[in-house]
Parts: sequence; structure tokens; C-alpha cells
Amino acid sequence: MTQSDLSLVRQNISAAKGLPNPHYTSEAVFAEERDALLASEWAGLAAAVDVPAPGDARPIDFVGIPLLLIRDKDGQVRVFHNICRHRGMILVSEPRRIEGVIRCPYHSWCYSTQGRLVSTPHVGGPGQNTAQGIERSELGLIEVRSHVWMGVVWINLSGDAAAFEDHHADLLARWAEFDQPLYHGGADSRFTLDVGCNWKLAVENYCESYHLPWVHPSLNTYSRLEDHYHIEARGRYSGQGTHVYRQLTGDDGQQFPDFAGLADKWDTAAEYIAAYPNVLLGVHRDHIFALLLIPKGPGRTEEQVHLFYPTEDTDPDLRARNAEQWKQVFEEDIFVVEGMQRGRHTPAFDGGRFSPAMDGPTHLFHDWVATRVQTHRNAPQAAE
Amino acid sequence: MKLTDAALIAAHEAGDTATLVALYARAADQVTGPERAFLLTQAHVFAMEIDHPEAPRLRAALIEMGCELPL
Repeated sequence: MTQSDLSLVRQNISAAKGLPNPHYTSEAVFAEERDALLASEWAGLAAAVDVPAPGDARPIDFVGIPLLLIRDKDGQVRVFHNICRHRGMILVSEPRRIEGVIRCPYHSWCYSTQGRLVSTPHVGGPGQNTAQGIERSELGLIEVRSHVWMGVVWINLSGDAAAFEDHHADLLARWAEFDQPLYHGGADSRFTLDVGCNWKLAVENYCESYHLPWVHPSLNTYSRLEDHYHIEARGRYSGQGTHVYRQLTGDDGQQFPDFAGLADKWDTAAEYIAAYPNVLLGVHRDHIFALLLIPKGPGRTEEQVHLFYPTEDTDPDLRARNAEQWKQVFEEDIFVVEGMQRGRHTPAFDGGRFSPAMDGPTHLFHDWVATRVQTHRNAPQAAE
Repeated sequence: MKLTDAALIAAHEAGDTATLVALYARAADQVTGPERAFLLTQAHVFAMEIDHPEAPRLRAALIEMGCELPL
């Protein structure tokens, strides 16, 4: 593979170019970025509500890697590689409730929901369930580091990222007021969009407010471009905020309850942050959403959206309207991200130039991608 | 009971794990030695899979025979 030149991406925004086309179209670069961007950081895998009860298990293919999301018998969310330590057989093929242990469907090696290997039937011959060299304490399921925050299950596949609380310390501090119980709105508060673009284009579009008056014209009625501000944390996240969030109000004047104890600024403020690599978050006085970008290939992304509220019992009609409203917004973005994806198939596109005033958060994401990919490319050479 | 019994095959085909526990455990009670260990193992694995109340007793029997380890 001819490596893309990323030096121009890392220039100052006024001189920088965007990421070269192969970062959106090439299978080889997609695989490279899987390791450099998605596996080495804290990536969003799923919503914790996907496994609501102890024993609930859900197989997830994450950029080609078979994983198992499970809530163990003690209620803790865990993520394992979805393979038996014996012959690498897939352990769980469909979402289901694990009543006792996870039994491999091949030779029936059994694992607890905490990942402990608890039985190796006939491993020493018929009826003999132990064997020299088969140390169960060394053959448990391979666990992936995971952490739940904002209702999202974050994973670090490489296992060597800083602890989640340390890596995202400033983001956790920024939104400390929202660190309180979140209640998923249920079936009417989740939806999935299948989008024909590279996952990074969805991040790039989400980060900036520049496109709002053109792509989301309904916002112009109350939230003007100048009401927005950039949010920029180099190497970790970027996004935008608004000073004029307006609560959704039902026909009878009903509104969602507020999160408790918020500062006055949140009466009218809202913030939208892309936590690199693939989690888009939005916080408001009365609800939070998380949008997980699940890469399905260089030009295809699954967007999983979940909405959360401060209390368990919220007005179902209002919830449905809120979900529909956000779905409309995210659907309005599809033609631009898909259009940019198609545009990256012409060799005439050179990565493009950024607006120094308006594209800061997007450039920051490009800078992060370029830095991480370059670090990844340099790593094998450093080891030689 | 022989392993070719229709009831056993039907339970396997139906994925009726509780019945598998019962059939294998009953079969184990009728034999001795390695064959008993084999059948107890089958019963024990299926019992663990569904958190069957017989699972601890089956495991204890296997441990007593030197065929299994404590949890």
C-alpha cells in the first residue's frame, strides 16, 4: 500500500488540507485506521441498555472483530472476544439470555458470565474433564477493557489506552453536572440509520456549526449561526455549542423534566461533542443523546442513536416527538455525508481546504486522525 | 437407557436442556465407571448451561470420581 501523505493535514488550519481520498475509499486504509483509530482509543461499541438484565448477551461484529457484549450475573457490563479458547469457535451467535454458563456449541467448554472457564468436558478423554496442561485459570474468555459512560459502552481493544477516566478527564469535568442517572427512553427512543459514507465524514459534519443554516434551515428560526461556539480539545474531542437551546413543548404545554442541579447557563445552552473516535454526544437540560458510528466498511456506516432522560417516566408522546425531531435532523445530514463520500472518488479532490473561522473542530479531528495514523505507521519502525 | 433412545435424540433436536439433564443423569445412575463419568459430564454441562439446581450435585459426583475440579 502506498501510504498517504499526512503532512499537509497537520498544518495550521489556514494552510492545512483535509485527509486524502484513500482515507475514505480504500479498504487498506480502513484496516489501518481500525488499528490506529478505533482499536487504540476508547471507541463506542453499543448502548448499555442493549443488555438490560443480568445474563443478557449480544454478539457484535465491530469492524470485523467478533465481540460479545454481556451483563454478567452481578449486573456488570462486560465485553469479551466472542470466541472459545479451545478452537476459536464463535460462542454466541444471536442475542439471548444466558441462564447459567456460556456453553461453546462445538465441544461444550463452558464459561461463566464473568468469563471464567468452568468446565472442559471430556478434555482428558471420555468422562475425564481435566487434562495436564489445560489450566482453566489461564483459559478464560479474553476480556476487552470496557467502561460505561453516558449510557454508552466504550471499549479499548488494544488494552493500552489510558484509563477512561484519565483519557477523558476534561470531558467528564466539562459535563460533570450531567453525571447523574440516565434513563433510556425505550424502544421509541432508539433508531438506526444506514449511511453510505465513511464514518469519519459523520464526525466531521457533526463537529461544526458551519453547515447548520444550509442543511438544517429550520434552526434559523431561533438558533442562528452566531449563537454557536466551537468546542476544541486537541487529541480527544471537538464539537460545537449553542446559547439558544429551546425545549420541546407538547400540545398541552408539557415538557421533559430537567436534570437536577444544572447551572443557569444550561437553561438555554446545549453542547454537541464528538468524542474521538466514533461517539457523538449531545447534552441539553432535559435530555441527552448518544450517536454511535459503527463502521461497516470504507463507504458505509451504521448510525445508532439513543436518547436518555432525567427520569424514568417521561411523556411517551413527547418522547416520540423528540426522537422524530432528532431523526429528522440526522437524516438531513445524510445527503451531505453521502455526497462528500461520492466526491472522494475523484482524484481531482485534494482533501479540500478549511474555513479558518468555521472549521476548527473539524480540522482538529483531521489533525487527530493524521497524528494517530502517523504514530501507528511509525511504531513498527521504532521497534526495529 | 441407551444413548440411542428416542427420547434423548428428541431432546437434543428440540434443544430441551432440562430434559437432557434428567435423561443423562438417569442414565448415569444405571452404570458405573467411565461410562458413568461420561454421562454425568453430559448431564453436568447441560445443567450448568441452564443453572439447573442439580448442577452442584452432578459436579460433586464428578469430583468424587476424580473427573472434575471444584469451582
